[in-house]
Amino acid sequence: MTTKVEPQRPRPASYRPIVVLAVLSMLVCGLLFPLVVTGIAQGAFPYQANGSQATLNGRSVGSYLIDNNFTLPAFFHGRNESNPATASASGVDPDVPLSYALSQVPRIHNATGLPEATLIAIVTSHVQWTIWIGGDPYVNVLRLNLALIGDYPAAYSGYG
Amino acid sequence: MIDALQAFVVVAVLGAALGSGWALAPYVARVLAGSPTFLDRLLGPLEKRTYRLIGTDPSSGMGWKQYFFAALLLNVAQMAIAFLVLVGQGALPLNPQGFPGMNWELAFNTVVSFASNTNLQHYAGESTLSYFSQMGAIQFLQFTSAATGVCVMAAMVRGFKRGSANMGNFYVDFVRVVSRILLPLCLVAAVVMVALGVPQTLGGYITVKTVEGATQRLLVGPVASLVSIMQIGTNGGGYFGANSAYPFQNPTPITDILQIYLMLLLPTTLVFAFGELVGKKRETLPILIASYGLLAIDLMIAFIPSMAAVGPGIEARFGAFFSTFWTVVTTAVTTGSVNSSLAGNNPLAILSAFMGMVIQATPGGEGVGIMYMIMYIVITVFVVGLMTGRTPEYLGAKINARDVKLVMVAFLIHPVIILVPTVLAYATKAVNAIPGFSSLPTSVGFTQILYEFTSSAANNGSDFLGAAANTPFFNVATAVVIFVGRFAPIMVLLALSGSMIGRRRSESQTLRTDSGSFSLVLTGSIVLLAVLTFLPFLMLGPILTYFQGLVNFLG
Repeated sequence: MTTKVEPQRPRPASYRPIVVLAVLSMLVCGLLFPLVVTGIAQGAFPYQANGSQATLNGRSVGSYLIDNNFTLPAFFHGRNESNPATASASGVDPDVPLSYALSQVPRIHNATGLPEATLIAIVTSHVQWTIWIGGDPYVNVLRLNLALIGDYPAAYSGYG
Repeated sequence: MIDALQAFVVVAVLGAALGSGWALAPYVARVLAGSPTFLDRLLGPLEKRTYRLIGTDPSSGMGWKQYFFAALLLNVAQMAIAFLVLVGQGALPLNPQGFPGMNWELAFNTVVSFASNTNLQHYAGESTLSYFSQMGAIQFLQFTSAATGVCVMAAMVRGFKRGSANMGNFYVDFVRVVSRILLPLCLVAAVVMVALGVPQTLGGYITVKTVEGATQRLLVGPVASLVSIMQIGTNGGGYFGANSAYPFQNPTPITDILQIYLMLLLPTTLVFAFGELVGKKRETLPILIASYGLLAIDLMIAFIPSMAAVGPGIEARFGAFFSTFWTVVTTAVTTGSVNSSLAGNNPLAILSAFMGMVIQATPGGEGVGIMYMIMYIVITVFVVGLMTGRTPEYLGAKINARDVKLVMVAFLIHPVIILVPTVLAYATKAVNAIPGFSSLPTSVGFTQILYEFTSSAANNGSDFLGAAANTPFFNVATAVVIFVGRFAPIMVLLALSGSMIGRRRSESQTLRTDSGSFSLVLTGSIVLLAVLTFLPFLMLGPILTYFQGLVNFLG
């Protein structure tokens, strides 16, 4: 008669699942996932994935999503340059409320000689469509200024 | 007040969250129940190898203590890894800006905050963290803390469910939640986010010459992948210091709406999954009515004031409407991401934010929202049972005196760890160490201190103070509050649920918990509990600020 011997499986120490799972979860969630997303993003949406950059004369001049820090009187200015009382939450808000853009029209008219009516028309044509989902009317400052440079090369000869 | 179009947008976003939550719930319930799903072909073999590597038998279940300590220890181990990544980032790859390692106190604060699903941040990511840290510490803990919350809910439901033999296997739950729920959802969300303008790159910061010839740096990075889990996982800690107010994290009102929707998605799904998991779909009804009913009330309170023009602290693309909507939702699901500075919000929006954080179940954080709702249900069943002279029962199990003691302990943890440190902050004059604090109106200052601890205790993470709270008192106090606020209620409520296993169940419950009238009683008792506990403090804070504002405006 032979004694039946239970196969001795090595009993895993209780910390093994903790250590292995902690390392594994870091590799999968902390590295593999963002790398896969980066691969897809760079392949499918390179423009957005690299910061939605604006180009002028073939070179990048910034991002449409980040305040371009305009200070010259001939350009529309963002909210972050003027004074702390109007500062945005991010400090790099690329947009201004429609009313703030319109309030700058006389200054740009004085600096460039472009008719106020023309400037007002450009501003209002740049109001983002998202007013149709309940937002306040706003315009993107960089888009506005690039439109000025593109449409009025004579007034903006140093930039176009 | 908001106009009809804005009201429609609010209803549409909530409707979309409810609709997709309802549609996703059966799948999520199958994942949590260990049933076959369509991803088995792909993930099944990987999963088996994972269990072998971990050394766990997927068919073996755990008692509540084993389950709780497995969860706690795994969280601690993950914190340790993230801690090493943060302090060692100077020597690790993917650090194109050459940031040095984080100092150990801040790294400790950060990993506690992220591992507990809180995401209170005393640093600005874009000027502190390498890409490796943003991925291997921050995103990593955002996944694991969200998964832990869902696991806790799954275990708790098993305890309450008729006929369960144990609480389930934590490791199996964790692997399945990460691989079959969080990763697939986040992958889709991250790619959509990139398409809508959120950057995702490992190339370093981009230097450009602006139109006027100045030099500017564009702070890009692996943003979209982080934002996907930070919203879906109700984490809230942003890639940037300004969180979702920063345009690279939230470029347009469309991404804003998408992120509000993503915050609501899984908490709402879990409300519907609850009924599936206990095997009585109608038991979802009271949770659904109470959570969304209270969220609707919070939104209405926040939208009472006029939605003024874009003021300081509010982004032009969001305005007061999208900022207020966000502030209420991010606290209702205890995410804690922000798309404005809280100081730019109306006091009534802040009051609604407080309501979300003191209740923690509207519908609350990932998994823990359901956990707190079960706590409220047990209290309500007990009170109603006393009033009507019926046996208090939930899901057929008789609620006994020990159960009520446990839920009362779980309930009281929250007010104690909020109100005691708030009082201490004043009593020890620790508030004076905050720059500029003494120049604030008393009610505004009080609101900010109360908010700091409410947000920490609720594992929310939004705050007024930010880096201003980087003082010894606030660093230590918030870290303790965060840790206790996360793990103490989980332990007590898992103990409650664990004690349900093997308890005799009655076939017909005398007090029905799946009726419309019970839903209303539940909603009322949640309001009563929260209001009775916190109203005096809220009166001295946001409510006083609101009426002072009205008086100033009129006078």
